[in-house]
Amino acid sequence: MLSRHRGILPWLLLGPGLAWLLLFFLIPLYFMGRVSLVEGSLLAGFEFTWRFENYIEAISTYQPQLVRSLVYAALATGLAFLIGYPLAYAIAFRGGRWRTALLLVVVLPFFTTYLVRTLAWQTILDDASPAVAILQAVGLVPEGGRLLATTTAVVAGITYNFLPFMILPLYAALERLDARMLEAAHDLYGNRRAVLWRVTLPLTAPGIVAGSLLTFIPAAGDFINAELLGTPRQYMIGNVIQSRYLELTDYPTAAALSFTLMALILVLVLVWARVAGTESLMGSSEP
Amino acid sequence: MSDGSPRDIDRLIDELVVQDITRRRLLRGAGTGLLGLSFLAACGGQGLEKGGGATTRTEPAAIAKGEVSETLSFSNWPLYIDVNERTKRRPTLDKFQREFGTRVKYTEEINDNTEFFGKVQPQLSRGSSGGRDLFVVTDWMAARMIQLGYVQKLDKAELANVDENLLDALREPGFDPQRDFSVPWQSGMTGIAYRRDLTGGDLESVNDLFNDDFKGKVTMLTEMRDSVGLTMLGMGNDPAEDDNPAALEAIQKIKQASDSGQIRRFTGNDFTKDLLKGDAWVSVAFSGDSIQLQADNPDIRFLRPDEGTMLWSDNMMVPVGAPNAYTAQKMMNFVYDPEIQADIAAYVNYVTPVQGVKEVIAEDDPDLAEEPLIFPSEDDLEKLRIFRSLSAKEDDELNKAFQAVVGA
Repeated sequence: MLSRHRGILPWLLLGPGLAWLLLFFLIPLYFMGRVSLVEGSLLAGFEFTWRFENYIEAISTYQPQLVRSLVYAALATGLAFLIGYPLAYAIAFRGGRWRTALLLVVVLPFFTTYLVRTLAWQTILDDASPAVAILQAVGLVPEGGRLLATTTAVVAGITYNFLPFMILPLYAALERLDARMLEAAHDLYGNRRAVLWRVTLPLTAPGIVAGSLLTFIPAAGDFINAELLGTPRQYMIGNVIQSRYLELTDYPTAAALSFTLMALILVLVLVWARVAGTESLMGSSEP
Repeated sequence: MSDGSPRDIDRLIDELVVQDITRRRLLRGAGTGLLGLSFLAACGGQGLEKGGGATTRTEPAAIAKGEVSETLSFSNWPLYIDVNERTKRRPTLDKFQREFGTRVKYTEEINDNTEFFGKVQPQLSRGSSGGRDLFVVTDWMAARMIQLGYVQKLDKAELANVDENLLDALREPGFDPQRDFSVPWQSGMTGIAYRRDLTGGDLESVNDLFNDDFKGKVTMLTEMRDSVGLTMLGMGNDPAEDDNPAALEAIQKIKQASDSGQIRRFTGNDFTKDLLKGDAWVSVAFSGDSIQLQADNPDIRFLRPDEGTMLWSDNMMVPVGAPNAYTAQKMMNFVYDPEIQADIAAYVNYVTPVQGVKEVIAEDDPDLAEEPLIFPSEDDLEKLRIFRSLSAKEDDELNKAFQAVVGA
């Protein structure tokens, strides 16, 4: 009785998830792959001809936007880490009984939609805003300069919008950190810096890897921030895909670019997981 | 930028109910162990790859006479029909129900021509309207719908009011010379809205968009025909007549202005926000929004430049597969009754395409009847330019060039 169940049960448990993925991920992916290899136009009709040139043309035309997407995403991930790590550290070790409340504050902005949050940044950064006036007063923004519709605004917007995705995994990792390890490190005459570099950071590496992936991947495909806080000179590959798909009904190029973006991210993630991931999962075995 | 609103979900549910046959096919498919793959295949691949609506390209017959239906699904843009602010009901639709007994399911689901097209194209290519009976799209999108065979030919005998009252200037558009497929819902002008307090005086010319004094404070619209048409006028060309090289020259000029930072950004209807905040001083702008803006801030002016102003229309169309096509024509005819149209025109403040409305409105609100942005005079109409009708190839050429500037 039991053994028979054991054979089916895992599949039953996996079933809904697998069916979901099949229906809403693999099948659309298949169609997108097909569309990326068709030839023709909406009016003349599309024909499937294994047209790989779609990829070559798309990549060569939109290389700047592809590179820009990865650079912006990397910058935003780096900034989110620099902002998020101290914050997560403070909540985990100094938060005390306020921890839950503080975490709630971190995710609070997510109670409104992404679009509204980004629109709020339009107001925060607009030319007449106090933020711009203060930055002009300290000389960080040149007189007569602006923040809205600049690269700074776009990267800042992305960083802000994905910050909680960085903080939460970092917090989870820091919170699990065994305080006795830190004590031991101090007992072994590690100064604060050495403890941070050789104990805390390596032990929380899984959180860093998770946080950076959760931030980088959606950031690279983002187009809302570039659209609302930037100009065409800041447009990322998501904007191009939208423009090609909706404005120009150039479905093959849009599909080819989507696949290219997926492939690029996949490669980067695999490299990152190899460099940082396995080592971190091994713990602090490195010297 | 669709916000995945409840509206979309409503629409989806509507579709599932309306597309009964498709759903049954899905269930049968599942029954034979296909897990609905055939359904998805129909949704995803085939619809797209067949692309051109070749199936309906034979000379179409006009919509057949029939019974007036109990319901009518009408898809339109937000804030594009009169609303009673107190009851939140739409008086025009209530009147329609009283006259014909038809309940109108009115969905404000069209925020953007291209997004709407992206959403309905797979269905339309399969000959289904997703339950819609009537939708409203801008001239150039109407042209595309006709070229693809996605809309039904109208029965002129049902449209007596349209025949009688449609503005002469709108009777023979290039994309639909006989108005066989489209009837204007509202029209509008594209000119220049500016902040008189910030520009330091009144503006007169399109070329103020390119004035160095306003560097970084200029916005243009992402609608190609509006921004390019105005720029062409400023260059002494005529968007109603001149062919692609003149338009490409204008796009080049816009590109330089964008690269140099003269143009702050390209907007949709949200140019209003930039103007109100003062982030933009000079904007390529729609007339209807500008009337509203003037009410909010008297320093905002709408300029119809000396060189000319663009005129466009949003058109009612009956999609293929519309369940209640006959009743949809009743609605088209209904809103061309000047008494009915007066309520819509007074609410939305765009250019009404219906003659005789001015006289109706003058009785209640003489000031409004004198508003040249809603009721352009003969002289004004002379200066209005409709972007010429483009062939598919020309359209593609201009769109690609323009998208390279505003989108990538």
